[in-house]
Amino acid sequence: MRRLFGYEERSAALFLAPVMAVLMGVAVFPILYSLYLSFFRIKLTRPNRTPFVWFDNYTDLFTNDLFWVSVARTVTFSVVSVSAIAVIALLVALLLNQDFRGRRILSTILLVPWAIPYVANALMWKWIYDSGYGALNGILYQMDFIDKYMIWLGDQEKTIFLIANAFVWKEVPLATILLLVSLKSIPSDLYQAARVDGASVWQRFVHVTLPAMKPGFMLVMIYETMMAIRHFDLFFILTEGGPGDASHVLSWHIYVETFRNLSFGSGAAMSYVLALVTFALSYTFIRTLGRKV
Amino acid sequence: MARIRFENVEKKYANGFHAVKDLNLDIQDKEFLVLLGPSGCGKSTTLNMIAGLEEVSDGRLMFDDMLVNYTPPHKRDVAMVFQSYALYPHKTVYDNIAFGLQMRKAPRDEIDRRVRDAAQKLEIAHLLDRRPSQLSGGQRQRVALGRAMVREPSVFLMDEPLSNLDAALRISMRAEIKELHQAMQTTFVYVTHDQAEALTLADRIVVMRDGVVQQVGSPDDIYERPQNTFVASFLGNPPINYIDGTIEVTDSSTARFVRGDLALTLTEATARKLADCNGREVRLGIRAEDVDETAQGGEGSVIRGKVNSVLPVGSDQFLGFDFYGEELFFRVGKDLSHRLGDDVALSVDLNRLHVFDKDSGKTLIW
Ligand SMILES: Nc1ncnc2c1ncn2[C@@H]1O[C@H](COP(=O)(O)OP(=O)(O)OP(=O)(O)O)[C@@H](O)[C@H]1O
Ligand SMILES: [Mg+2]
Repeated sequence: MRRLFGYEERSAALFLAPVMAVLMGVAVFPILYSLYLSFFRIKLTRPNRTPFVWFDNYTDLFTNDLFWVSVARTVTFSVVSVSAIAVIALLVALLLNQDFRGRRILSTILLVPWAIPYVANALMWKWIYDSGYGALNGILYQMDFIDKYMIWLGDQEKTIFLIANAFVWKEVPLATILLLVSLKSIPSDLYQAARVDGASVWQRFVHVTLPAMKPGFMLVMIYETMMAIRHFDLFFILTEGGPGDASHVLSWHIYVETFRNLSFGSGAAMSYVLALVTFALSYTFIRTLGRKV
Repeated sequence: MARIRFENVEKKYANGFHAVKDLNLDIQDKEFLVLLGPSGCGKSTTLNMIAGLEEVSDGRLMFDDMLVNYTPPHKRDVAMVFQSYALYPHKTVYDNIAFGLQMRKAPRDEIDRRVRDAAQKLEIAHLLDRRPSQLSGGQRQRVALGRAMVREPSVFLMDEPLSNLDAALRISMRAEIKELHQAMQTTFVYVTHDQAEALTLADRIVVMRDGVVQQVGSPDDIYERPQNTFVASFLGNPPINYIDGTIEVTDSSTARFVRGDLALTLTEATARKLADCNGREVRLGIRAEDVDETAQGGEGSVIRGKVNSVLPVGSDQFLGFDFYGEELFFRVGKDLSHRLGDDVALSVDLNRLHVFDKDSGKTLIW
C-alpha cells in the first residue's frame, strides 16, 4: 500500500506539531477571532448586548470624520518618514561604502538606534523634546537659535514632523544596511567599464549604482512603509494623538476606539482596514518598482 | 595612431604589494601585443595602467611621446573588454554598446549608425533589444566587443576576454578577434594565461612572472628560443622535459651533454656557444614533440627509458617515460603501440635542444 506521506514527512509533522499549535493559538486564532468580532457591535460598557451587525462597523468607519483625520495624519507621517529614511539611508550607505579610516567604528555606532527597543526609543525622544529639561531646548538655547524653552510637542504644526524625526532616527540603520548590501554586490568592473566609457562620477552613480540598488530600495520602501503606517509606540508615549488631533494617526485611532471607548467590534474592523491597506500598498510597491530589475 | 611606452614603470598597491617591477616595454602602433603569464603575475595590473584604471606608482607611461601617468581613462582614447564582460545589467544590448558614445555626446544618428554597424559585423543585430541576462556567454562576449568597437579607439585593451567561453567557441572567437584587429587597424593589448591563445593571436608576446617581464618576442622567439626555464615551461603541451647533466667539451665546435649512460651530441652552433662550459652542470630542455620514435638518428641522439604511461590524445599520444627516476613526457605518433614497462629508444632532434644554466635557469645558447 502506498501512503500519501512517508515516514520522514510524518515524523517532521510530529516535530512541528507543538510549534504549530502555539502559532495557531497566538496568531491564527486571534486573527480569525478579530475578523469574527468585527461583525458584531461589542461595547464592554454594554456586555450583554452584542448584536450581529454585518458590515455596519466597516461602513460606519467611512462616515466618521475622525477616522478620515487619522488617515490624513497617517499619510503625512508615512510619506515624510519613508522619504526621509530612504534619502538619509542612501547617503549613509554611500558614505559607508567608501574606504576611509574609522569606517568600522562609524558603522558600529550607526547600529545603536537599531538595537534600542521602540518603547525605549520613544521614551528617549520624550526627554529630548521635553519642554523643561529637554536636550533639544538646551542645545538650541545655548547656540542662540531660540531665546526661550519651547513646548515642542505642543505645537500642532510641528508635532507630526518631530515624531517622524524620532521614527526616522530609529529606522535609518536597518534601511542603511539593506542598501549597503546591494551597493556591495555591484561588481567593481562595472565602474571601471563606465570610467573607460567616459562616465563622470555622477553618471556612474546614475547608470551603475542606482539601477543596481533598485531591489534594495524596493525592500526598504515596502518595509518602512509598513512600519510607518502601523506605528504606535511613539504616538502613545510622546503625544497620545495630540495636541488636538495633530498626531491622531490610524493606529492611535484604533487604540482609542478599542481600549478607551471599549468598542471592540469597530476596533477590530478598523484593524482589518489597516491590514488591508498595508497589504495593498506593499503589493503596489512590488508591482511598480519590481518591474524588471 | 597609438604607440605605448613603459619606462621603468612600477606598480605598488596601497597595501604595499609590489605587483609590477621595473617594466620597460615599447608597444608599436597597430601591433597585437599579448601579455602572457600565470595567475597573479601582474598582467591585469599592467593593462589597467594602460587604461588609466590603476595609477602608475613610479616611472613614465607614454602614449606617442605624451606622458599619460595622470590622464584619466576617458581622455586616453582606449576601449576595454573585461573578462567578466562588465555589461550594464539593466541596459539593453543597444544601450550597452551605445553608452560610451552617449557619454561622449556623439550625435544621435551617428551613434545609431555605428551601433547597428558593429552589431551587424558581430552578428548580434537581432539581439539589440535584449538585456545581458537574456544572452548566452558567447553573445555577451560579442556585445562587450561591440561596446569597445563602436568607440573606434586608438588602443583596444582586452583582459582574458575568452576565458569564460567553452573550448569550441574560444577557438572560433580567436579567429574573429584576429580579423577584428586586421579590420580595425589599431593597437591591441591582450591579456591571457592561455599559451595557445597567445601563440595564435600575437605579433609579440610578453611573458611575465611575479611582476617581472621574462621575455618579449614573437611567438616563434618565445617558443623556439626561450630565455629561461620559466618561459620554456610555460609554453608547450605537454610541458618541456628537463634533464640535469654535464657538458663535456671536446674542442671549440664539438660538445656533448652527458647524464649517466645518456650522451647527446650537441650541434656545432650550440657547441660553439658552450665552448667554455666544459664540466658545467646544466639543465637540458627537450620539448615533448622533438623526438622521433624510429631511433634512426643513431648514437649521440638516442634516449632510452621504460614506458610509464600512455595517454592517447586523439591525433597522437603522450608517452610517459621513466628516466633515472624522473618522468619525461613525449608526444609520439598514434600508430606506435607501446605497453607499460616496455623499453623504448627515442631519437632526439638535436637541432632543437635547449640548454639552461642549472642555478639561474637562464639560457646558455640563445
Ligand atoms: N587592489 C589591489 N591591492 C593589492 N594587491 C592587488 C590588488 N589588485 C591586484 N593585486 C595583486 O597584484 C598581483 C597581480 O594582480 P593582477 O590582477 O595583475 O594579476 P593577473 O596577472 O591579472 O592574474 P589573473 O590571471 O589571475 O587575472 C596579484 O598578486 C594580486 O593579488
Ligand atoms: Mg587578471
